[in-house]
Amino acid sequence: MAKQNVVAMLLAGGQGSRLGVLTRNIAKPAVPFGSRYRIIDFPLSNCTNSGIETVGVLTQYQPLVLNAYMGNGHPWDLDRNTGGLSILPPYQSMSKRDWYKGTANAIYQNIHFIDRYHPKYVLILSGDHIYKMDYRKMLNHHIEKQADATIAVFEVPLEEASRFGIMNTDKTGKILEFEEKPAFPKNNLASMGVYIFNWEVLRKSLIEDENTRGSANDFGKNIIPSLLQEGKSLYAYTFQGYWKDVGTILSLWEANMDIVDTPEALNLSDRSWRIYCRNAARPPHYIADGAVVEQSVFTDGDEIYGEVYHSVIATSVLVEEGAVVRDSILMPGAVVRKGARLERVIVGMDSVIGENCKMGPGQESGDSSYKSKLCSNGISVVEGGLEVRAGLVLGGNSVLSLPEDGHDTPDLKILNVLNWEGGSRC
Amino acid sequence: MLSNSMGLILADHDRVHLGDLTRLRALAAVPIFGRYRIIDFTLSNMVNSGITNVGVAAMTKYKSLLDHIGTGASWDLDRMNQGLHILPPYINSSYFDRESGDLTGLYEFVIRGKQEYVVICDSNFLIKTDFSGIVSKHVESKADMTILYNQDGDRYGSPTFSLDLQEGVLRDFLVDSLDSGTQKSAIGVLVISRELLLHILSQSMSRGQAEFSIEQLLKMYEQYKICGCEYKGNCLRINSISTYYKSSMALLDPQVRKSFFDLEAPIYTKVKNEAPAYYESGSYVSNAIVSDGCTIYGSVSDSILFRGVRVEKHTNLQNCIIFQDAIIGEGADLHHVILDKNTVVRPGVKLQGQPDYPVVIGKGAIV
Repeated sequence: MAKQNVVAMLLAGGQGSRLGVLTRNIAKPAVPFGSRYRIIDFPLSNCTNSGIETVGVLTQYQPLVLNAYMGNGHPWDLDRNTGGLSILPPYQSMSKRDWYKGTANAIYQNIHFIDRYHPKYVLILSGDHIYKMDYRKMLNHHIEKQADATIAVFEVPLEEASRFGIMNTDKTGKILEFEEKPAFPKNNLASMGVYIFNWEVLRKSLIEDENTRGSANDFGKNIIPSLLQEGKSLYAYTFQGYWKDVGTILSLWEANMDIVDTPEALNLSDRSWRIYCRNAARPPHYIADGAVVEQSVFTDGDEIYGEVYHSVIATSVLVEEGAVVRDSILMPGAVVRKGARLERVIVGMDSVIGENCKMGPGQESGDSSYKSKLCSNGISVVEGGLEVRAGLVLGGNSVLSLPEDGHDTPDLKILNVLNWEGGSRC
Repeated sequence: MLSNSMGLILADHDRVHLGDLTRLRALAAVPIFGRYRIIDFTLSNMVNSGITNVGVAAMTKYKSLLDHIGTGASWDLDRMNQGLHILPPYINSSYFDRESGDLTGLYEFVIRGKQEYVVICDSNFLIKTDFSGIVSKHVESKADMTILYNQDGDRYGSPTFSLDLQEGVLRDFLVDSLDSGTQKSAIGVLVISRELLLHILSQSMSRGQAEFSIEQLLKMYEQYKICGCEYKGNCLRINSISTYYKSSMALLDPQVRKSFFDLEAPIYTKVKNEAPAYYESGSYVSNAIVSDGCTIYGSVSDSILFRGVRVEKHTNLQNCIIFQDAIIGEGADLHHVILDKNTVVRPGVKLQGQPDYPVVIGKGAIV
């Protein structure tokens, strides 16, 4: 196998349980984002734009849609003869048959995959952040500092630092200490979950970690602290630019709203750093006579007859006459029927909001049995594949999910959605 | 699915010229419907019908055509076995320094095909169809050739080939007959067996002929049995700037959109990876088709915008077709205008065309 200088390993196996019903049938990296994208488009596009053409994607939780979405990597120019995109699920061997136990164990189980390319460096990425980053710059920094490992960090406000893994560094950027979610943070450099390792160093450390009893086999909890303890040289690389975690319903909603509030921040229209995605093969969208669209984004296949304000609309969405959508995210194939009013609602793929439904923080008279702890700031979620009965009133912070027993309820009808790609019933 | 047929797309048409729009590009490469080129419809119809061996005969201005179709990957035609073949003429090749050289590429493509029938398509119309219909009709009727036609009563100007079919067999045909609207007008889709096509091509080559067209084949009605096959769906013809304009604007009708775009048989095109379209507060949009990558600050109605168009504040676009990456400056006022790719309209400029005669601004112009 031809030698590759850098191999990227993308951790895409997590469930993303804080996204609740949005990840019931799909892995978090396959969750639609920003009208025409999926979360995983960002790290994959960053790789291809950074000239990294060997990418292993580690999948485990609900991989069907994610695998189908990635295919042979063609949309990201990763269908290479040498390297390219490889999907790496857990596998059985003569001696062991394990799921991926932790982030480090997932890489450990694929040591042979990486060895095939004899890389000097391994780039570890995760599939739950929205950002555009030139990994080459980070690699140059890594080489300049003659580091064993480099961790990309993002400056967060000090008062929020206790939510992140924090790097305590000296003046040269050398990491002295790593603290996972410290109660009293000494620093504001948060780990972005983007690491570059010298492969030789990481390889050895992964094997040692695997042989350490009781290890969580996790990069943050085990690998980084043990490398620090060994006196290896670890550096922080400060990333400047837009970076957002989309691991919770609130942060997913906020990151989507950033696209319509401050389009220049993520700057999706920058042609020197395109974000690639698998295309829906739908015609351009249509805005009807009488429709109102303001401060919103739309993409192919949409048909808009109603009013849409400050919202992110994915492919093949239908908003009927007299419907009003505000501060909301409509995922692929969503339908909003006549007269419905949505505010701060995330509508899952292919769901149908019945006529004259009213959803949003202003509708507090609604049925409180739908309230959910995963939701905050008045944001509600409608799971994909549901038809919501006409006239339903729903307050903020609620979730409408598929009935557990698989039977329709008076409020919710289960739609026969087979492929979870969105827009399958247009 | 059609496994017994191969496709041949004629990217240019002797009788069809669209002024500035075809000055620099083949007819098949003319942009249409916001994110497509004319050829996308024929290619997708072929692929969706199961045809996976497709030749595209290009004449001269094939740069944008080649850019667009590339390896054929967008249509799943990048195959080890057959797939997409671009057949440029051998005009200047010293190896084929004969008058008949033009048809050599075509002949070689057809002779290498493994299928029994060839579906030949012109590039001056848009239809949505499964070619298995016309091929099975062709086989059943034991015709030598079968031509698609419709009689929707619409007039699309020159060239119109009115067919005189008696008991389904072609007895005569008229070009640009005055009462064409009520007659059976040919649509440039013709089915012929590979064997007969090879015979006709080799005869043409021996006679030193360098042209090949569906019209030429139809003229052989006395010699061969040519049958008709009626097409009942929407057919949008493109014979001139005004019919291009009329056919494009038909997409604003939801029924027409539905007839061309369904999920089972999508229309594929080259993917551009633009950002989603963004509408600023204060923009006004009504009855418009808008593509990805557009940024809208002004007012747009009854119009079609291609990818990456920027419409600044206080502009007024009505009944316009704006190609890729055009920029409309602040306060510009455009009615019935077609702007080609990369054009720039300076702030405050007013352009006014008429429904039958839209103003066309050529590629890259600054107005």
